[in-house]
Amino acid sequence: MSLLKYVQNLDRRIIFLFVGLGTVLPIIFPIGFPISVTAPVQIIYDRIEAMEPGSVLLLSFDYGPSSAPELTPMADAVMRHCARRKIKVVGLSYLILGGADMAEAVMSEVGRDLGLEYGVDYVNLGFKSGAPAPMIRLARDFHGVFPLDNRGNKVADLPLMRKVRSYADIDFIVELAATMLGDYWINVVNARFGEEMAMGTTAVSAPRYYAFLESGQLTGLMGGLKGAAEYEVLINQRGIAARGMDAQRIVHIMIILFVLLGNVIFFLERSTKKYSLLSG
Amino acid sequence: MQKQVAVIIAFVAGLMPIIGFFIPARVIRETIVGTLDNWLIIVSAFALVLGVESVVKVNVLKISRRQKGWFNSVIYLLALFLMAIFGITMGIGERADGSVTPFTWMFRAMVDPMTSTMFSLLAFFIASAAFRAFRARTVEATLLLVAATIVMLGRIDIGAALRIPELTEWIMNTPNMAAQRGIIIGAALGGASMALRVILGIERPYLGQSD
Amino acid sequence: MVEIFQIWVAGFLTLFIFSFLYKDNPFYRFAENLYAGLSFGYYIGLIYNQVLVPNVWEKFLEGDMMPLPAVCIGIMLFFRYLPWKNVSRLSSWALALYIGYYVGVAIMQKLHGEIIPQVQATILPLRPFLSFQTLNNFVTIVGVLTVLIYFYFSRQNTGIIGYLSKIGIWFAMICFGATFGYTIMGRISLLIGRVQFLVYEWVPAIRNLFN
Repeated sequence: MSLLKYVQNLDRRIIFLFVGLGTVLPIIFPIGFPISVTAPVQIIYDRIEAMEPGSVLLLSFDYGPSSAPELTPMADAVMRHCARRKIKVVGLSYLILGGADMAEAVMSEVGRDLGLEYGVDYVNLGFKSGAPAPMIRLARDFHGVFPLDNRGNKVADLPLMRKVRSYADIDFIVELAATMLGDYWINVVNARFGEEMAMGTTAVSAPRYYAFLESGQLTGLMGGLKGAAEYEVLINQRGIAARGMDAQRIVHIMIILFVLLGNVIFFLERSTKKYSLLSG
Repeated sequence: MQKQVAVIIAFVAGLMPIIGFFIPARVIRETIVGTLDNWLIIVSAFALVLGVESVVKVNVLKISRRQKGWFNSVIYLLALFLMAIFGITMGIGERADGSVTPFTWMFRAMVDPMTSTMFSLLAFFIASAAFRAFRARTVEATLLLVAATIVMLGRIDIGAALRIPELTEWIMNTPNMAAQRGIIIGAALGGASMALRVILGIERPYLGQSD
Repeated sequence: MVEIFQIWVAGFLTLFIFSFLYKDNPFYRFAENLYAGLSFGYYIGLIYNQVLVPNVWEKFLEGDMMPLPAVCIGIMLFFRYLPWKNVSRLSSWALALYIGYYVGVAIMQKLHGEIIPQVQATILPLRPFLSFQTLNNFVTIVGVLTVLIYFYFSRQNTGIIGYLSKIGIWFAMICFGATFGYTIMGRISLLIGRVQFLVYEWVPAIRNLFN
């Protein structure tokens, strides 16, 4: 079999092996490539930086384990930034598979690391079904939609929640969405109630939200692992996202080379066929 | 008669959010539409687990007939009932002392890693598919390939000397944004007209096969 | 100890699923069915604790009976599984309410949240003539209009419509290329997440066992 044919019919498990090694090796042996910050992420950082201490940020965890590698670092970085600025954080979720638990895991960990007090500095309201119905109700009645928080406490008894009863008491919203729930936030919470919001989303969904960013419906956009890494760089805390960018770089280059190789083989084959046709 | 009632219910239920949007009167927004909003939070909770009966029935049949893969059905049903029973009887989330309930432990030990791993397999398949299928056969395919390559390089900060990262941002903010906007407007028009058809009873998805 | 056991379970289940990359095998199928069952059980446990208890049961205990009609409507959804046709048909009323409400919300979402703001944002100034911003605005306007023309299937793509459609396809190809680039990034990120778990958490847990 010629080399061309062999490469053309390459067992996909060899490609899998290359991708696997390209991911594992940079994680075991980190390189620390520089990460540049883009404007859509900088806007979010500047907006939170400008918030007064004691302001309230609503952080929506509308993602599950399938998007956690990209969005959990965003949630972690935003919450740490808020803690540094003494901004209170109210977390909630409209995604049934894992949203509330993602919120609990991130908020508890940051709370323990930074000595934050639950109920005073942050609250996890948990999950509510039926979006966008609860989004519409929250405009007037936080306590009615979430009578209990994720831990079973009465929301009305929590010091932070005594002053948060509607969107009017929220100063900024950061929505972390892996599904169409992101659209609901823009179409309902921003378009109807005029609430200012930023979005963190997976790399798969990010290209779509540039249209909403440009129209002013979003104040800032973090897209994928790179977006999370950029925010970590901005808060001077290179975490799991920044470390993952080394592997991201290696595998991207690998895939570009695979695509180029595939096209070289394609054109070579085409010219070989043309030549053999012409020569009879 | 039953079908007509369903159509009328859909019409009224569809009209309520629209009226509530335009009429700020308290009796409309708070009392009528607000109550409907609260009810739908609860009704949608029931809708989320609507498939449980069919799923249990299919797997029980598979086990009783000892069909191929019946043992997997045993695993499926055991996992389903165990998780549901733990959640209902022992609560969820973290306790005050920092420990977690069995429900949350099973989520973090099993559901979370398995979901993540299932989706991470896509990385391998997308690499393989890119090698086998991504060919510059036509002008359009070449345009797609070039845009993808520039964006991939720009997102990992390669080619700063050739201003690739800046070109990437321009692609995302201008031609990509324009095309996405066209798609969003088109899809939204389609979605709105489909929604209108359902409210007016032209489309009746709630009647199922009997329509 | 519980946390170490959690990491071990998560690690093994991760490897069971990764084994599919070599070929389909019983370990993968076990993990797949376990995952499917646990996910559904998770829905049930979560809905009980986060919707039914706070929004229904707690309200009843306070003497507020407003959730009662919602519970009845939710239960009506399950009537489809009953053998008596006269009763099972009533589930379509509950479904009509559910679907009708959400399409009513969807119309306003689409019109108010997508179509109007996006069209508004496309009305851009084309002065001063010789500036980079004006060029970008021009590209945006052309892109949005030509993509919309391409997706307008009620008219044949001939003549001037055909030429404009072609430009729309080019914009769409750039958009799909950018999306493909981002999609690859997204999928790789999921794999990076799993490998980070194995390297940073699972391997140290193995080392601790032997130390």
